[in-house]
Amino acid sequence: MIGLVSYIVFFLILSLIFGVAVLGLNLQWGFTGLFNAGVAGFTAIGAYTMAILTGPARDAVFGGFELPFVVGLIGAMAASGMGAAIVGLATSSLRHEYLAVATFGIAVTIQLVCLNWEYLTGGTLGLIGIPNPSKAWADGPLAQNALYLLMVLVSVGLTFAALERIVKSPWGRMLKAIREDDVAAASLGKSPERVRLEAFVLGCMIMGLSGALYVSFIGYVSPWDFLPILTFQIWTMLIVGGSANNRGALLGALIVWGVWTMSGFIISRVVPSEIQAQGGAMQAVLIGLILVVTLLIRPRGLIGEELHVSRHAGP
Amino acid sequence: MLQKFGLAAVVAALTGIGSSAGAVDCPVKLGAILPVSGPMGQVGERIAETGLFAVEQFNEAGGVLGCPVEYVLRDTQGQSAVGVDAAKSLVDLDGVQALIGAVSSGVSLPVLTSVAVPSKVVQVSCCSSSESFTTLAEEGKTEGYWFRTYATNRSQSAIGAKLTVDSGFRKTAVIYVNTDFGVGLAKRFERDIAKLGGSITSLVAYNESQQSYRAEVTKALEGNPDSLFLVAFPVDGATITREWLSLGGTDNLIVNNSLRSDDYFQAVGSQFLQNMQGYDSAQPRLPSVDSFNEMFEARFEGPPNGPGLHSVYDAVTVVLLAMEASGDITGDSIRDNIRLVTSPDGVEVYPGPEGIARAKELLAEGKTIRYVGATGALSFDGNGDVQAPKMTWKLDGDENVETGYMSTAEVAELIRMLDG
Amino acid sequence: MILQHVADGILSGAVVALGAIGLSFTMKMLRFANFSHSELLTWGAYSALVFVAFFSSFGGFLDRTIGPFSFGASLLLAMPCACIATSMVALLLHRFVFERLSRMAGHMTMVFASFGVALTLRHLVVLIWGSDPIYYSRELQFAILLPGNVRVMPDQVFLLGLTVVVVIALHLFMSRSRAGISMRGVAENPDLARASGVNVDRIVTWVWVIGASGAAIGGVLYGMTVQLRPELGFSLILPLFAAAILGGTGSLYGAVLGGLIVGLSENLSVMVIPTTYKPAVPFLLILAILYFRPEGIFGERSR
Repeated sequence: MIGLVSYIVFFLILSLIFGVAVLGLNLQWGFTGLFNAGVAGFTAIGAYTMAILTGPARDAVFGGFELPFVVGLIGAMAASGMGAAIVGLATSSLRHEYLAVATFGIAVTIQLVCLNWEYLTGGTLGLIGIPNPSKAWADGPLAQNALYLLMVLVSVGLTFAALERIVKSPWGRMLKAIREDDVAAASLGKSPERVRLEAFVLGCMIMGLSGALYVSFIGYVSPWDFLPILTFQIWTMLIVGGSANNRGALLGALIVWGVWTMSGFIISRVVPSEIQAQGGAMQAVLIGLILVVTLLIRPRGLIGEELHVSRHAGP
Repeated sequence: MLQKFGLAAVVAALTGIGSSAGAVDCPVKLGAILPVSGPMGQVGERIAETGLFAVEQFNEAGGVLGCPVEYVLRDTQGQSAVGVDAAKSLVDLDGVQALIGAVSSGVSLPVLTSVAVPSKVVQVSCCSSSESFTTLAEEGKTEGYWFRTYATNRSQSAIGAKLTVDSGFRKTAVIYVNTDFGVGLAKRFERDIAKLGGSITSLVAYNESQQSYRAEVTKALEGNPDSLFLVAFPVDGATITREWLSLGGTDNLIVNNSLRSDDYFQAVGSQFLQNMQGYDSAQPRLPSVDSFNEMFEARFEGPPNGPGLHSVYDAVTVVLLAMEASGDITGDSIRDNIRLVTSPDGVEVYPGPEGIARAKELLAEGKTIRYVGATGALSFDGNGDVQAPKMTWKLDGDENVETGYMSTAEVAELIRMLDG
Repeated sequence: MILQHVADGILSGAVVALGAIGLSFTMKMLRFANFSHSELLTWGAYSALVFVAFFSSFGGFLDRTIGPFSFGASLLLAMPCACIATSMVALLLHRFVFERLSRMAGHMTMVFASFGVALTLRHLVVLIWGSDPIYYSRELQFAILLPGNVRVMPDQVFLLGLTVVVVIALHLFMSRSRAGISMRGVAENPDLARASGVNVDRIVTWVWVIGASGAAIGGVLYGMTVQLRPELGFSLILPLFAAAILGGTGSLYGAVLGGLIVGLSENLSVMVIPTTYKPAVPFLLILAILYFRPEGIFGERSR
């Protein structure tokens, strides 16, 4: 029973950390229509910034400032935001698949920099010994994880509340207008280019937050954590949960990560041990089929966009 | 804030009750976290099957403390988050007290720091080579729960360099895989070979799973090297070797231990590899090793040539012996007993059902034992690392033959000379 | 050395080009980025394996190698069979997944379904054929020395020759046949094409068959010159997209040129930057080109 509770706490931490990144992507794709296929890259910037700011000093590697957790989080968001501003300016003329391929390429490039720039990132070895603040404040793995879950929940809650306010603000309505019709939005007197860039930067900052939370929890960061498969997972969570709905984004994170991990659990129980080694391939086939079938049954995701009718419309 | 601490305290109290387990419940579970799908799938699948083979042999000898052992395998897909979750689920939901794995350091390390150490569960890897583990252990962050049956890079580069220079090669090209394993090995090789009087014409790193390595090979061909030191895994290694030979590269190849694999020989074609030489860990000339190789061949209809096979067998067996020795199965007692079953002054025992049965008898009599396994006599240092004797090998026709042997003491002497 | 890098670049670019043709067409005419397209290369290569075994079993000339090449007539016969098999896989996917989704939901949903399809297809290969690498022939070919100190293998000469033949055949199909001309019409303006009586469903079938066949041939050629492994297509997905976008979607020559640029830039880049950064090169190139020409080299400016 304790085992189950302990596992659920752990599961919630990981899926909610993913959920933060999904919220960031939702702002970009769900509300603004920006096809960012470089999620892994911006998460990586946040993760490495966190590791450099809060981690212990190492020979021949930059950083190790041992700054407090919260400073790390803020620094991670700032670094991801800066990276996003540069990328956003360079790709401002691109739409849809073109933006996707460009951002995908940027994520691949960022991963290669993480892999090869030893002085900054520790290269293939990664950076070890990143402190997890809950370990200083609580004893025992379950208590520590429960405390960390609370910190993640606070982060998710603040992000969620902020995004809900933002999308209902005039600026948020502008986002949707841009998503639906660029030209009409421009006629409202705001520069769509500028608003799009702002949404892109803000979304990437949230992804950076997600990366930072992951690194502190795991205590280690390496280039292998930011392969394109991560981008794929985050996108799947958003599409399955339902884009343009922040509740859907979080729900998608829980469900997709649940399927991803529980399918391994089920296969380890059900498949006879002689062919266990093929279990990995079966798990992947299962995940793929579940995704396709979910999309076929509910193409708009589990919770789609809420439709708003203007207060001034109707009788 | 106060509320948070309140909750944490309640949870801590609950854990206290939970961890007081001590009696042995049947079956005893052993968790394995290995990359059986994804880019490392080909390597991981064979390692996973060999791990199961070790468990089966233990069960033939009556299992652990009278209980059959259940081998619970979870796939990491080569991803750290998936591996961490799988490990946590094995610990919390299956109640395993020891984990075997993972293969790549990028997965083993997060599992160690976020699951094994906090949950006080032993983790033994067959294959992770990163120097970061030693660093963490020296800092006391592994709390002794980390072990690996894979000999560290240091001895590998020394043997590789010695083999190259002893074969009379003076201008060596190096192609290496761009992972912690390859980078660490190539860098040390560069230093070692200079000390021994050889030289490097080029150091070319390659990223895994690329469509073609012609560019890397062409670059490595510059400067007309008389030999190639190749640090790779079988699949990409075969592609590189084929392109290297096709493009006119020398067939004086020196290859690292993971290419001592039938997959690699067959993929390239052994007729083209007659001038290849390699090195590998251990296989000291002891009855134990022959018996492992014979048992393996009988079970899998082929010799145990491939990365991680010997070392995963020993990882599993050592953990199960430590469980047997400890009487109760908890992470702490497994950790404390691993050194008791590999004690240098213990009675030697060998792999296989008979050897294990003998080991269990000796343990029941209260004796300390020394497990001499598929990789030879293991002795873990304070950081959980092993040193192993080394051998060199070549291909004769399709036959993989041993050409030289260096005991642990000789390896240590060579390293002292190089570092001195 | 530079000539060797150029030759290597053209050779790896040719496989990318064959795969990118289909991807480029589906992006333009079916309006979605099909991430499972690269798996069609894998399926083409592996299905050819089955046909090679079938034809070789007859023995005789089918089983013997031809001239300097590593393969025999059985592989040549297996290639069209693999095209048919792969086309059937593609059409089944269209019928049961993509067509349904295109009616029910937006094109982004199709993109994500294609992720799931790719994952499933790739691991079905593992379950059916295993994860060990496979070769059509165990023979290792040695390169022939061309003027300029360039080394190529006979199989690679064949690869290049066949790619040229396929591109010419497709050119003739697109410019001479009724179906090909309608296809170009659909690519340029689907609504207009529909209004002028083009049977769009039939054209869509053609798009899949051409795309899948190109992918199958690319996959077989890749398997012939490198090896067959389950990640064969997956490792090509990025170069394929790069080529399709670089050339401008929906354009035959764009895809071919894009493929060559990707291959060349990757291979030439190692002369100036460390090999470890090689995979980033096509993207940096795309970024540069898209910055100046956001719709690709052959794409139309306005959409």
